[in-house]
Amino acid sequence: MTTTTNRTALFAEGLRAAQGEFVQCRSWDDVWQYAESLSDETPVVAPAAYVHLQRGESPDEEDPLRSIADRSVGITIATCGIAETGSVLLIEPAPIDRAVSLLTRHLIVALAEPDIVDELTDGFRWLAQQPRAAAYATFVTGPSRTADIERSLTIGVQGPSRLTVAVLP
Amino acid sequence: MSASTAPFKQRYRRSVSDPELKPRLLAFQRSWRESRDAQVRSLEQRTERSFDELRREFAAVKDSTLERIDDYIAEFRANAEAAGATVVQLSTAEEAVNYIAAVCKSRGIDLVVKSKSMVSEEIELNYELEQRGITAIETDLGEWLLQLAEERPSHLVMPAIHQKRQYVAEILGEELGREFDPDDIPAMVASARDGLRRHYLSAGAGLTGANALIAETGSIVVVTNEGNMRLATSLPDVHFVTAGIEKLIPSWSDAERQLQLLPRSATAQTLSTYTTCITGAQPGKEMHVILLDNGRRAMRDSDVIGDALRCIRCGACANVCPPYQIVGGHTFGHIYTGAIGLVNTTFHHGIEDAAGPQGLCVSCGACQTVCPVDIPLPKQILEIRHRSHESGHAPLWEQIALRLWARPRLFHHLMGVAAAGSGLARLVGLVRGDHLRAPLPKRLRWRAIPALPLRSGRTLIKSRAPQSTLSDSPAAGQTVDLFAQCLADRLMPSAVDSAARLIEAGGAAVNVPESQHCCGLPAFDAGDWDMARRMAEHTIEALEDGEREIVTPAPSCVISMQDHWPRLFADDGEWRARAAGVSDRVHDLADWLEGPGRLPDACLRNGDGTSWTAHRFCQASNRNDAGARIDKLVERLTGETARPLAEPDVCCGFGGLTSLAAPEVGAGILERKLACVAESGCDTLITNNPGCVIHLRAGANAGGANHKTLHYADFLAARLPKDP
Ligand code: SF4
Repeated sequence: MTTTTNRTALFAEGLRAAQGEFVQCRSWDDVWQYAESLSDETPVVAPAAYVHLQRGESPDEEDPLRSIADRSVGITIATCGIAETGSVLLIEPAPIDRAVSLLTRHLIVALAEPDIVDELTDGFRWLAQQPRAAAYATFVTGPSRTADIERSLTIGVQGPSRLTVAVLP
Repeated sequence: MSASTAPFKQRYRRSVSDPELKPRLLAFQRSWRESRDAQVRSLEQRTERSFDELRREFAAVKDSTLERIDDYIAEFRANAEAAGATVVQLSTAEEAVNYIAAVCKSRGIDLVVKSKSMVSEEIELNYELEQRGITAIETDLGEWLLQLAEERPSHLVMPAIHQKRQYVAEILGEELGREFDPDDIPAMVASARDGLRRHYLSAGAGLTGANALIAETGSIVVVTNEGNMRLATSLPDVHFVTAGIEKLIPSWSDAERQLQLLPRSATAQTLSTYTTCITGAQPGKEMHVILLDNGRRAMRDSDVIGDALRCIRCGACANVCPPYQIVGGHTFGHIYTGAIGLVNTTFHHGIEDAAGPQGLCVSCGACQTVCPVDIPLPKQILEIRHRSHESGHAPLWEQIALRLWARPRLFHHLMGVAAAGSGLARLVGLVRGDHLRAPLPKRLRWRAIPALPLRSGRTLIKSRAPQSTLSDSPAAGQTVDLFAQCLADRLMPSAVDSAARLIEAGGAAVNVPESQHCCGLPAFDAGDWDMARRMAEHTIEALEDGEREIVTPAPSCVISMQDHWPRLFADDGEWRARAAGVSDRVHDLADWLEGPGRLPDACLRNGDGTSWTAHRFCQASNRNDAGARIDKLVERLTGETARPLAEPDVCCGFGGLTSLAAPEVGAGILERKLACVAESGCDTLITNNPGCVIHLRAGANAGGANHKTLHYADFLAARLPKDP
């Protein structure tokens, strides 16, 4: 049986292998402070994270994507993490849920430590039973990347160029 | 006409004259191999299952889904439509293009942003939409670069792998109206991001492919690394999905099985950056799922080929393909590239487009070993070659050569003349070592022409007394039939004689059946199965007398008899039985020396300090034959240790007719092999298949290499006690 601690350690290892960053936070206040320390711009916050944070800027409801294109820092929340791969599962049925994870330069994903599962199988099993969640679900593993020019790995193409997972107790 | 759409011969010439293509693809293949193997090993450890078990399990899922494809399509459709999508089944490329164009027209859409989709390449969607007044923009960086350059993908996963950064800087500069430093790849990528961004904001529709379609919920799964797919499905109001019907899988757990195999095989990642699952249309938006047939049902129902529909487009078969490394995907394939492209092009684009590259395959069998769905690609490529031969696509020189080869008496006569000629050349000083000093045309100068020895292997055996017994093997006292192999018998007779002496050293007697000639392999390889059958029948007649075990120093003939003969005689019960009567008794010499004719450990130790290494005949190695590991056999018999050789199972470039039909391919692969041999620092290179010995020796001679090249039978027999 894998314990929570080494599940978290595995998760961090997988995430780093995919060029993602890992920070351990004690509270949402910590997450916010970390986000603010990254840039002078106010972080933009996805609706699911706003419920917890109650601060930051929200994407515009009318035109959520265009309103925040290329903002420096964004915060969203993951449904679960996969220890095997260092991935986070984002459930984002509407464009407004997705805007932050799509278009900010540095994405912070808050993840509750108990929500880290062992394997992709567990994530899939969960998803298969949640038809509404499967409307638009993404396992994100590290920041966006390409190797299309002479196979040279370049981090940050069309999605975020930095990805930090902030693990909460 | 762009580099990727020209006729095959032009594409071939262009790719072999690009000096940078080979080294780039070689570096790619090697680094992919290393990281992919590490990924597969860790998967095996974690799941406690072998790669073979995992891939066969998923292949079985694909097979059973394809058998009942219409049921799964119906299930997918019902679920996706319940979630607000529209699902259409279309038969041809034209229908698919028309459907997309009609939806765009009725919604007033004139710009479509695309995420990577091989099906859209297959139906040449960009061009076709343009003809109908609609602009399609590729947003995957590699695909966009191809679009700007008006090229086709040269790899399934790394579509622009053939482009050099200088060229990328040029085309990006033209598109974006600024200068780029070719060495600053991050700057190019960043500008491409900005260049593409404006298109998302103004497009009316986004188009994606699908890696899997899940029937139980009507969901699609798409894996990407850049994040463009998520943008293309989030900004515009209409989402098109183009997918072949073979992308259907029953359930989420099957999707997970696929995801265990796909990213590891494609990009050697545990998981791609984005694995996105979408079910139905999003509120206020439209989703159209286009399920395309375009030859797929015909493929499913076609003998031998059906399994190719399991393909999950990972590109691994190209990543281990030696000829692909030399010519790249614009030559090795059509729109689909690599081994799978040699197979499925026939069904999606026609035999005309499939025929050109068929002769480039060296039949090494590496593709199947890494295919995550275990598609018997080597077998299928031979089948397509056969069909292409039947439809009149065989080169004339090849037909003539095979006609001569097929007639044993004429063949021996010609060989006799050539041997006499070589003897004459020797007299007048035109022979150096074992090769002629005759000038060759430039295209062929990478190899030396072997001088033919005067006496054939069979004559050598008859003209000496039997080798004395070294130690009684289990076969001691038996008489064994030796199948010399046509090529070895004339071009390297000593290896045939050495094979006989090694058998005799185990206490068995050797009989050489008189009328033997050729098992039919060259004709089979060339797709000329009528001729192959005639040659096989001749060999069967020559070998079927008596119940004796048959041994050959040529593993290629063993494979030919065991794998190809059943196909040649598939419709002829009587001949099939006769063929099996022979092939059941045939042994590769290496297997014989480990098995019935086993010689004791270290019996051939001589301590002369030779340093040797072993190239393993690729086809036998990739087929997992124990006998292919000749280094192990020779180590056991000599008590010495082989020098490590990098890539010991990678083809040497002989590839039967390939090295004649496409000399640059034979030479390029040989160069890769000889570099590894040089790096090993050996004095002697040993190998097991006569064709490889001849090819490796000719290349080493022409290149002035420092090592000797020997069939391992010669290497071992030289250490037998000399009989008085
Ligand atoms: S044939 Fe196999 S190895 Fe080749 S692309 Fe398809 S799945 Fe991958």
